[in-house]
Amino acid sequence: MSEITLDGLEKRYGETTAVEDVSVEIEDGELLCLLGPSGSGKSTTLRMIAGLETPTNGSIAIGDEDVTDLPAYERTTSTVFQDWALFPHMTVLENVAFGLKMGGVSKDERRDRAREMLERVQMAAHADEDPTTLSGGQKQRVALARSLAVNPDVLLLDEPLSNLDKRLREDMQIELREIHEDLEKTFVHVTHDQDEAFTLADRIGIMNDGELIQVGDPDEVYERPENRFIEGFLGDTNFVDASVTAATADGVRVDTELDAELVVTAADGTTPDLETGTDLTLSLRPEILSIHGVDEERADDAGVRDARVAADGGTRNAVTGTVENVVYRGSTVRYSVSVGNSSMFAERTDASTGALSAGDDVRLEWDGDDVLAFRDDGDRVMP
Amino acid sequence: MSSTLHRERLEDVAFRAGYAAVLAFLLLPLVVVVVTSFSKAGRIAFPPESYSLVWYGEFLQSARWIGAFVNSLVVGVGTALLATLLGVLGAFGQELEADAGGDGIVGAVLVPIVLLPLLVPPVILGITLLLYFNEVGLRGSYTSIVLAHTLWATPLVYFVMRSVFSRFDWQQLDAAHDLGAGPVRSFVHVVLPNVKHGIFVGGLLAFIISLQEFVMALFLSTPSTETIPVLAWTEIRQALDPMVSVVSTFLIVISVAAIALAALVTNLEWVSRQLS
Amino acid sequence: MTGANSQTLPTALASLQERLVGESASRRALLLMAPLIAFELLVFVIPFATLLRISVAAPSSEAVYAEGTWSLEAYSEVFGDLLAGDLLLGIVGYSFLIGTVVTVLTVVIALFYAYAIRRSSGLVKSLLLFSVVLPLLTTLVIRTYAFTPLLSPTGTINELLLSAGLLSEPIQFVPNTVGAVVGQVYIVLPYAVLAIYSVLATMDWDVVEAARDLGASRPRAVVEVVLPQAMPGIIVASVISFAWSVGAYAAPGLLSDDLTFAIYVEQLILGDLRYPTAAALSVVTMGLMLAGIGIIFAVLDRFGGEFDLA
Repeated sequence: MSEITLDGLEKRYGETTAVEDVSVEIEDGELLCLLGPSGSGKSTTLRMIAGLETPTNGSIAIGDEDVTDLPAYERTTSTVFQDWALFPHMTVLENVAFGLKMGGVSKDERRDRAREMLERVQMAAHADEDPTTLSGGQKQRVALARSLAVNPDVLLLDEPLSNLDKRLREDMQIELREIHEDLEKTFVHVTHDQDEAFTLADRIGIMNDGELIQVGDPDEVYERPENRFIEGFLGDTNFVDASVTAATADGVRVDTELDAELVVTAADGTTPDLETGTDLTLSLRPEILSIHGVDEERADDAGVRDARVAADGGTRNAVTGTVENVVYRGSTVRYSVSVGNSSMFAERTDASTGALSAGDDVRLEWDGDDVLAFRDDGDRVMP
Repeated sequence: MSSTLHRERLEDVAFRAGYAAVLAFLLLPLVVVVVTSFSKAGRIAFPPESYSLVWYGEFLQSARWIGAFVNSLVVGVGTALLATLLGVLGAFGQELEADAGGDGIVGAVLVPIVLLPLLVPPVILGITLLLYFNEVGLRGSYTSIVLAHTLWATPLVYFVMRSVFSRFDWQQLDAAHDLGAGPVRSFVHVVLPNVKHGIFVGGLLAFIISLQEFVMALFLSTPSTETIPVLAWTEIRQALDPMVSVVSTFLIVISVAAIALAALVTNLEWVSRQLS
Repeated sequence: MTGANSQTLPTALASLQERLVGESASRRALLLMAPLIAFELLVFVIPFATLLRISVAAPSSEAVYAEGTWSLEAYSEVFGDLLAGDLLLGIVGYSFLIGTVVTVLTVVIALFYAYAIRRSSGLVKSLLLFSVVLPLLTTLVIRTYAFTPLLSPTGTINELLLSAGLLSEPIQFVPNTVGAVVGQVYIVLPYAVLAIYSVLATMDWDVVEAARDLGASRPRAVVEVVLPQAMPGIIVASVISFAWSVGAYAAPGLLSDDLTFAIYVEQLILGDLRYPTAAALSVVTMGLMLAGIGIIFAVLDRFGGEFDLA
């Protein structure tokens, strides 16, 4: 059993707190991604699990064993480092065999096992090379083989893909995923790249300012972020300042900087108790917005829509604005639209009909159920 | 435009003449030493009137000079070992501390204390140590000279190693710990191979410092532990024969050979790595 | 399951260790530094405490000093002699004069030579570097002494100058102050060159090109761009030149009849057995020397600042 239990983990350097009160249970065989911006404490957390940093407070257990005071070289964890930290004075094979040598494995056996590991990562052909001559991707594979060679209970990955180019990174993500499924070991992977986290993770832990804010399945974290920071960190969104004007049957009516009164509803019917005048931040992700040129529609069509919005109890919202600029982003086209005193962006796949260009008047529409609302302190209140 | 070119050419000539003069200044005494060692006469003159190897023969028969030679080697090796040990460990510890973001009192005080002996005139150091070693009963031993020389050699080793360690990728040490190597084994297997050239250079510097130093040795040595410079000092003040030149020539040859050998060894290793 | 009861002692130890070696340094760092700390304590700090102690002991006619006594006699003697403008003032003043002259000469030559090494390449560069390292490999006493056959009245240089008709009678360079200065410059020059060269070697040479590109003449580019950047090396070179030359012993001893402070202290100890006086004189000279080093730092730092602004 190699589940990891972090309890109240804290790391301070003098006055600064790098990690604050992190508690989480990482299940046996799970791949957990710690995701956060640089300086959020995710690497420090990982290094404490590895035993490379000593926690100021709190405890770490692997399986049933408290390892808080155990030095790195006595833990059953193994780390793949960001810069891979290959030993430049050893060959590739010697690098991979190093952990086995330290573990007292005989010379022949460790050579065989190291070679086996190199085959697994398709680096057997480079066994006798100097690691400094390898490419980034190759170094990454060797580092992975070196960590796996000691047959660790837990594999820790400290942004090992961040120094690779995009294509290679995506290939390696899939390979890592396969290796994880193959080995059925506990992996903790640190990254600042949300795509990588979503590709790899069974669960994602979001860190910011040394705190672990939310741990959950990828869709849970994306759909129901605990706070405004996570919503902003995971992909692009439009944040709109709003103020509650009235409560409705299943939501609230708000006044916004978009010069329009909008409705936010909770699909599950749970309406929070929000007083009139409460300041909120709404998040309107581009994928919930539909964008239409005003000229694309007949005037009465628009009228029908307005009527429907009113009749529907306010679940449908619409604003009008002017396209400011258009950016082609491969499979999608992104439009910046000035709405009232503010600016929003929306996307269309370029398969959709009718090209819009700068200066066009457009209408943005969305469902009130799809909007997330956050309070002043950042906590999500709706839905 | 042409006047600028003309001026720059003049500057060039002056520049070359300037550094040639300094080059001559630096090498001339060494030339004098080597050439006069082959002199036949019993008195040093440059250039000598006639040449012979007679003083080399004298040197090889002089028990006192051979003894001083051995003493210098003993003290030099002792100093190199001790200063390297202290300097390498100290610099490693300090670098570990700095790497961990440390800012303790020891680190702040240690650097100036290690550095200070270099600035104290050797006569004062010699006297101080003479008085001190008298009290603790170390006077006249090899140890007393080695300790004194180490006081001078350690700062050099220490600063060479600080700069070597600062270029070392400390993540490698993390990786070694992570793969199950304890503090000692990770140092031996991972740190040492990466910094051995620096250690070698530091040790060589310490050896050279010891070979050179004579003021402290003058105070601390007895006839049975006198080093080459001490004996040379005494001899020069009595007789002006070319023996000191012979000894010095030997030292130059040995030092140059040692450095050439070291360069060859490190290079051969590099070559063999490239080939394998 | 580490209980709260095991918390207090480790916490206290940790906070002590934190104070000593910094926040997060491991016990290992302190352990590694321990031999060096012990060595400096036993071979440097305690001996100097002993020297200080002897300097405030009463002189004695039976022993080298009267053990266990406290007296400022040695200091009053040293200061009395210095203020009376006696022999001692001459000796100490002469030592500092030699120190200053040698430092200025050495740093100027070293800066020029280090720059020449930096500018050169290939075989010339190797030769120039070799010429700096080789003197370090020869015994100081002998290579200093090697100036005698060159500089003496019947020496090579005088003979050359005489036969070229530039001189009508030989000049006595040795034994003379000129010889002492030449010899001392020769002793410290290699170290000074290496100190400055190590800074120049890592310097970004593009800035010199840029200065030239902006219309600075070559000497101007050197003064405006190279000098300020070389300042850390120049400071190190100045400090070691000064410290070693004030305490010069070998060069003045071999190449001149002048009495320097170092030679005088040796006489006090080995000849006159006046330990407290020697100790007090050492302490006073050290103080003056450290003050001199402080002035060098202050002056060069200001120069560095000025050049930085230009």
